[in-house]
Amino acid sequence: MNTFYVINLLIYAGVDAMACLGLSQQFGIAGVTNFGFIIFQAAGGYAAAILALPPKSANGGFQSYIGGWNLPFPVPWIGAAIVGGVIALPFTFLVGRRLRGDFAAVGLLVTAVLLNLLATNYVPLLNGDAGLSLIPQPLQSRYSPQSAAYQWTFALVAVVLCALVYLFVRRITESPYGRTLRAMRDNDVVADSLGKNLLSLRTGMLVLGGAIAGLSGGILVSYVTTWSPAAWGYAETVVLFAAVIIGGAGNHLGAVLGAILVPVGFEEVTRFIPTSNSLPPNLIPSLEWVAIGLLIVVFLWARPQGILPERKRVITLPQAAPAPAAVAAPQAPLTLVRPAAAAGPEIVLETAGLTRDFGGVRAVDGVSLSVRRGTLTGLIGPNGAGKSTLLAMLAGTLRPASGTIAYLGQDITGTPAFRRARLGLVRTFQLASEFKRLTVMENLLSAVPANRGDSLRGAVAGRRYWAGDEAAAIARARLVLRRFGLEDFANHYAGDLSGGQRRLVEIMRALMAEPGMLLLDEPMAGVHPNLARRIGHELTALCREGMTILMVEHELAIMDEFCDPVVVMADGAVLAQGTMAQLRGRREVVEAYLAG
Amino acid sequence: MALFLASVGFGLVTASVLAIAAVGFTLQFGVTDVLNLAYGAIMIAGAYVAYVVNQAGLSVWIGLVAALAVCSAGSVLLNSGVYAPFQRRGTSPITMVIVSLGMTLIIEFGVEAVAGGTSVSYTMAQGRTVQAGGLALTAVQLAVIALSLVVMAGVHALLRYTKLGKAMRATAANRTLARNCGIRTGRIITVTWALTGALCGLAGVVFAIDSGSFNPTSTDIFLVLILAAVFLGGPGQAYGAMLGAVIIGLATEVSAAFIPADYKYVIAFVVLLAMLGLRPTGLLGAAQ
Amino acid sequence: MPAELGLRGLPLRAQGITAGYGGDPVIRAITVSAVPGQVACLVGPNGSGKSTLLKSLVGIVPVTAGTVLVGERDVTNRPPEDVARAGVGYVPQVDDVFGPLTVRENLEMGGYLLRKGQVAGHIDRVLAVFPRLGAMLGRPAGKLSGGERKMLAMGRVLMLDPGVFLLDEPTANLAPRVAAELLEEHVRQLAAGGAAVLIVEQRARAVLAIADQTYVLGGGEVRMQGTPAELGARPDFIESFLGGRGDHARPPGSS
Repeated sequence: MNTFYVINLLIYAGVDAMACLGLSQQFGIAGVTNFGFIIFQAAGGYAAAILALPPKSANGGFQSYIGGWNLPFPVPWIGAAIVGGVIALPFTFLVGRRLRGDFAAVGLLVTAVLLNLLATNYVPLLNGDAGLSLIPQPLQSRYSPQSAAYQWTFALVAVVLCALVYLFVRRITESPYGRTLRAMRDNDVVADSLGKNLLSLRTGMLVLGGAIAGLSGGILVSYVTTWSPAAWGYAETVVLFAAVIIGGAGNHLGAVLGAILVPVGFEEVTRFIPTSNSLPPNLIPSLEWVAIGLLIVVFLWARPQGILPERKRVITLPQAAPAPAAVAAPQAPLTLVRPAAAAGPEIVLETAGLTRDFGGVRAVDGVSLSVRRGTLTGLIGPNGAGKSTLLAMLAGTLRPASGTIAYLGQDITGTPAFRRARLGLVRTFQLASEFKRLTVMENLLSAVPANRGDSLRGAVAGRRYWAGDEAAAIARARLVLRRFGLEDFANHYAGDLSGGQRRLVEIMRALMAEPGMLLLDEPMAGVHPNLARRIGHELTALCREGMTILMVEHELAIMDEFCDPVVVMADGAVLAQGTMAQLRGRREVVEAYLAG
Repeated sequence: MALFLASVGFGLVTASVLAIAAVGFTLQFGVTDVLNLAYGAIMIAGAYVAYVVNQAGLSVWIGLVAALAVCSAGSVLLNSGVYAPFQRRGTSPITMVIVSLGMTLIIEFGVEAVAGGTSVSYTMAQGRTVQAGGLALTAVQLAVIALSLVVMAGVHALLRYTKLGKAMRATAANRTLARNCGIRTGRIITVTWALTGALCGLAGVVFAIDSGSFNPTSTDIFLVLILAAVFLGGPGQAYGAMLGAVIIGLATEVSAAFIPADYKYVIAFVVLLAMLGLRPTGLLGAAQ
Repeated sequence: MPAELGLRGLPLRAQGITAGYGGDPVIRAITVSAVPGQVACLVGPNGSGKSTLLKSLVGIVPVTAGTVLVGERDVTNRPPEDVARAGVGYVPQVDDVFGPLTVRENLEMGGYLLRKGQVAGHIDRVLAVFPRLGAMLGRPAGKLSGGERKMLAMGRVLMLDPGVFLLDEPTANLAPRVAAELLEEHVRQLAAGGAAVLIVEQRARAVLAIADQTYVLGGGEVRMQGTPAELGARPDFIESFLGGRGDHARPPGSS
């Protein structure tokens, strides 16, 4: 086999794998579907080119382009990565949450086509359609780029850099930060409510993926010495997506495999197909595209997880807790309730005159109530009474039209939801909101507010940096799992649990945030009565430890058995307050329910 | 001034082609909730069907009829065989976009595999040029405009006055409620794809006529114009697509009178991105 | 005097219905029936499965056990368009009209299964029952007020002369006076005209006033049933209605 053929293969494999790793990190792990991905590789390629090229007047001046500073290796490659990352920043606007997913995807695709169009037509920028050529190769003044030794070194460098990128993205993905990214991918609304800054996470991923793609473009450009718009149309993005989907989105080895199978594999397969003059010349390339399209559709239908699916992250729990004598320093006992709240003011939550309208109807009408520490307060009322709206305002997902809310004496009326969660006021959701493709343990760990590994910097710093915080989080999670009897399910995917168990995950996850007060939204909905009673007992136990709980529920038997006081709402206002027995005896409460 | 009027003339023709295409695309989205990005590929497939008929010695207008039939049937197959099964599984909209991109590759490069990549054109007489108030258009261009007006009137009549058209609008508005009325929405959807598929084929042929020469990738950029017209008017709104087509068609051609012709499509891109970012429901849709 | 509707009533019998959205069932072994000429009502707190039951009867929610009979026809798990053809008219709680279509077009869609010549006549009959709609025929349904939309929703269903009416909380979001008018005049008239009516309501007081048979749902099961008079006499009615006391393990009447 021709030695230069192997070198060519290695370099293309390295470059494509690197680009796919960047895409895998963005799309597979973080769920950021960036159909403009090729732009970053293109930008990196152009950046490396104009950094390495001499001024445009050189070489007979037949190319026109910006830049041309003739900078030595490795500046062009570093520049490529930086430009790739920086150019990702404007893309953050289209990847925001407000726009429907498929609309945003189309917008990104169109942006890629537009930029290609501009680069093709605006010649002074990057030599337009013809592209840039005669791009200097690294250290070409000192070594001969045609020699086998040079080329082998180049290939080695490409492969090594790709391996380094692989280790880098793996380090990020296997950290608490990576877990947060996957949680955002699974359910961004819930991740937001847990205090994760979605915008900063997505921006980080766009820049990181952009930098990796940029570097891959820089390496490629330095090898082929030319770069034109034809090399980066929208079809190239589709090829990379196909590679990641087929190889396995969410698995970095899968991304590498996909890169080898699709961009590289297709290129190589054509060498072995005999050409014939009777066939049209472009038949094979056309059929390649047809095959890629077919593979995309077939894989998405039959094996959407790809050839190498995402691995389950199993966290082994040590069998027995270490003997107390072995512990050098005495540790504070693990509590589930935030001490500041358990030992804090008597009135944990207080509202005054909360009002909110919805579509012309007054959903909440001047609600003033106070919740005392250590109580399991129920909130009931017929449909349309305003309970959900009130809860949303207390949690911070809805702004009141007027009125104030105070938590532990501090005014939180304008505080956003995720910050209330960090203060210790945590809510659960009515509808299914577990992270399905994370294990139960990971679901719990994702709710821990302060983990050093839960930031890009912390992830890059490596395991040793965040191992301590992670161990503490795991210990806490274990405590919570044991309390609710789900320790055996710790390493099951949360999506595989029964409805009742998923409700428990919801509550357990709220406890991981070390709350001072819980806002529970119909925690027993659809739950078997026995399990509901279990949950009730656990909640009561928590209240004895100093937790304060406000719970919206319809199953009034639960209210009866566990809640005191119970607040009745009707038509947006508080009607009465007391035990269920007392309320049942009050006419206006009975009327409210029967009148509906 | 002459340049300006000439560009207005071109703009009217482009708007006519765009209107036929955009109405089909937007109705597909309205009734099925799928952004069928393979629409451009089916258009060019229709153009090639007419080309084959044309090469056999028949008039392009007969080829047009063949294109209508092929694209209609192909679109029905595309929805029933690919989009609908994915949707039944609860596939997310973003994944549906990837699926439609995959189908685009299959169809567009399938055509290229069979027909080759070189540009071709129809064998047809352009007819005499007609002058009217500074505008100069050939008989064929006038025919395209007239055809587009007929199609728009037909779509309007269908949606406003026929039981089928109202059932289509009902299915787009609330599929479950339509079924509660006894409407067999499965059939309505199939008929919708058959009709819009025919529009797609028609659009492909008149696009090819207007372009002069075409190749399998010619509709790649045109798809962006379609998306711009659709999102300008509001996705799912047939009248919005018509309005969007007129605006985009005129704007792109008239802009060529003032900026280098290579950039005339940029305005469509900018409009599309602006609508997506600022008002995704379009000019005629309800504000969010 | 509202026009005589002359509806051919069909008995609706749902036996042992267990249904849900996949996973755990929301309703278990529910048996209810609606008799032509009578109003049967389903009451119970939120989450008791009332809406789910109606949706399972018309084919929107899958039924995993039990049968649904309309007259002699078994419509269990038939698609909604077939259930409509069997003579069932269903008014959902929300998304009950075609917003972008005009009032007239909504009614025309209601009469989709009619022959072309019959549509105009049926529209006139519906307008006789809901005269307010007559002034709004050209207006898009999305622009109607809450009460007008509900009337349109019911008028849409009336177009087909169904033998069975299923109404899901028709008075939700309506002012009490409008709600009372809707129930007492229109709903009662449907039954008086011969149809079988099954109505789900949160406003128990109001609907008990017009009901012939009442089912109290709780936790996905029927907790008790009877005529309003029978239920009113039971000491545990209010308790049961206010939740969870209808435990099978507890003897009835215990507090």
